[in-house]
Amino acid sequence: MGNELGTILQLFLRSLETGSVYALAALGIIIIYRTSNITHFAQGSMGMFNTYIVTYLFTSFSMPLWASTLCGIAAAVLIGFVVDLLVIRHTKKISPVAKQIITLGLIMVFLGLSPMLFGVDPLLLPRFIQSGDISIGGAAISYNAILNICTGLVLMIVLFYVLQKTKMGLAVRTTASNESTAMLMGVPTRKVTLAAWAVAGVLGCLSGVMIAPTTTVTTTLMNAVQVNALFACVLGGFQTFYGPVLGAYIIGIGRNFLVYYVSSVWGEQIMYLLILIFLIFRPNGLVGKKFIKKV
Amino acid sequence: MKQTNSLVKTNEPMWKRIWQNNHLRFMLFGVVIGLLPWLSDAGLMKSSTLSYIGNVLIYAVAALGLNLLLGYSGLISLGTAGFMGLGSYIAAYVAKDMELGFWVATLLAILIPTLIGILIGLVSLRIAGIYLAIATLCVSEILLKTFEQLDTFTGGMQGKTTAYPTLFQNPLTRNGTYLLLVVALILVMMLTHNLVNGQMGRALHAMRGSEVAAQAMGVNLLKYRLIAFSLATAYAALAGALYVFFIKFSYPSVWNLNLSLYILAAVVIGGFRSIYGTVLGAFVVWAIPDLVLKNLPVIGEINGLAYIFNGILIILVVMFAPGGIGGLWPKILRLKDKLLGKNKQDKEPKEAGDAV
Repeated sequence: MGNELGTILQLFLRSLETGSVYALAALGIIIIYRTSNITHFAQGSMGMFNTYIVTYLFTSFSMPLWASTLCGIAAAVLIGFVVDLLVIRHTKKISPVAKQIITLGLIMVFLGLSPMLFGVDPLLLPRFIQSGDISIGGAAISYNAILNICTGLVLMIVLFYVLQKTKMGLAVRTTASNESTAMLMGVPTRKVTLAAWAVAGVLGCLSGVMIAPTTTVTTTLMNAVQVNALFACVLGGFQTFYGPVLGAYIIGIGRNFLVYYVSSVWGEQIMYLLILIFLIFRPNGLVGKKFIKKV
Repeated sequence: MKQTNSLVKTNEPMWKRIWQNNHLRFMLFGVVIGLLPWLSDAGLMKSSTLSYIGNVLIYAVAALGLNLLLGYSGLISLGTAGFMGLGSYIAAYVAKDMELGFWVATLLAILIPTLIGILIGLVSLRIAGIYLAIATLCVSEILLKTFEQLDTFTGGMQGKTTAYPTLFQNPLTRNGTYLLLVVALILVMMLTHNLVNGQMGRALHAMRGSEVAAQAMGVNLLKYRLIAFSLATAYAALAGALYVFFIKFSYPSVWNLNLSLYILAAVVIGGFRSIYGTVLGAFVVWAIPDLVLKNLPVIGEINGLAYIFNGILIILVVMFAPGGIGGLWPKILRLKDKLLGKNKQDKEPKEAGDAV
């Protein structure tokens, strides 16, 4: 029995780690959705591209991992700025569907840029803390996993503090609730949107750096993260900032338990099906409010 | 331009009357692209070029379906590649393992994915907005996993192979299969033309103008969205079956999200609600990178060039030319009239992207 409990605890801890990866990516998607009114399909691809930058700096210039990660974050901010300044800023009058298509175009651009700049061979990115496990109640967890979980939690706490308690956060929330009113009230909505793209880029980059050591860095690195993060947003509802985070952790936990107890091959697919069925009954997500369409 | 058939004056010359009949024009287009194999046999065109063009025709079928969905109902499906893949595996399995021949294989390859599509549509179309995109994304992920794991049916990672089809006890060559693609594309183009100019097309047009107004006029939104989505699925499945008969193999890695994005790119670049535009869009997306860009010095060496080219093109088209190639046509006509000094404003379509 004790062993069984240990397995469950271990699965739970591992789920927290995957959950944080999904949560960071999902937060990026929801920040963009709320400030620019775009379903950001390219969050994963931009994260993938920035992870490539980190890995490339690490392997080809043998920079220390922390330094290359910092450079990756800087690149993420820059790329976020460029995307907003060059493209998103000029799409105010375009329908939401067309905006989604633009992010699909962005995916293709980053999919093409990565092999062009970094080659077609898969790259490897090591963990921040190479080795060392700690035992909690019969469950072994690596220091690196703890670092990932804590990074995720700290980042989210900081973000939510900024969103809820500071003047900057107020500006973001005002823009999110109604952009034209916010503009009339003197909120610099352009700066808010610009910052949102930078923040989303950084979150994508960090989730990429966290997931990269478990696999190789290729153009498909973030596909699963992107799909799960989108599902997290749908599951949690697009109306709040904390809903998707909640959804991400639920998906992380659900996925790992299904993979372990039901089927190692089909676990993730069963998870997707369950979410689809859940949506039939609660189309607006766990904490979503009903969206009322006005004529 | 369209629906002028009944208004044609009887005293106009014969060629003009033929030209103004939409169906004859589709057939003429078919004859033109159907002549390409002879060009290739005569050595005027590389043999590989014909393969690229064949690819374009296959993807044009899938793109026409997505255009019905996206152009009229504004709904995005990210599962086009998944349904295409399903169609291709079913066609290969029925034709090769069950030996039931081309017609049964194609029919089943269209029917089964369409039924799955209807089921997904029933669930996800009740909820407006991006849910169809996410539901289809999820379904195509599930399908992709199935293609990889269901060895007995799909051949797993090794993929599934098949032969050129046999029609009426007559085994087809590559050129014959190419002609089959042409016929299929032309039939699909005609079907699409009839659909969008019939009762369904009027309902879809009304929905596009204002969903609320359409509802007030008695248009059942769910019904027409479901029809549009089922048609998109059926077209994609047909394209998948054609793919496996022309290319002769089907791997799981072909049917990933990137292919769905490519098909979407063809629709956006070609222009919403434009039939010829969509075919041209497919040509731009699949043939230009392989036939033109790869042969350029320096630029041709870059990896991932096709992605960058198409990605940037999508963004530019959405931002600056929302009508795509199909939307440019009326502008060209207007320019021509201006240059020739004609003043026929009554003939011009009111809205860019509505014509052709």
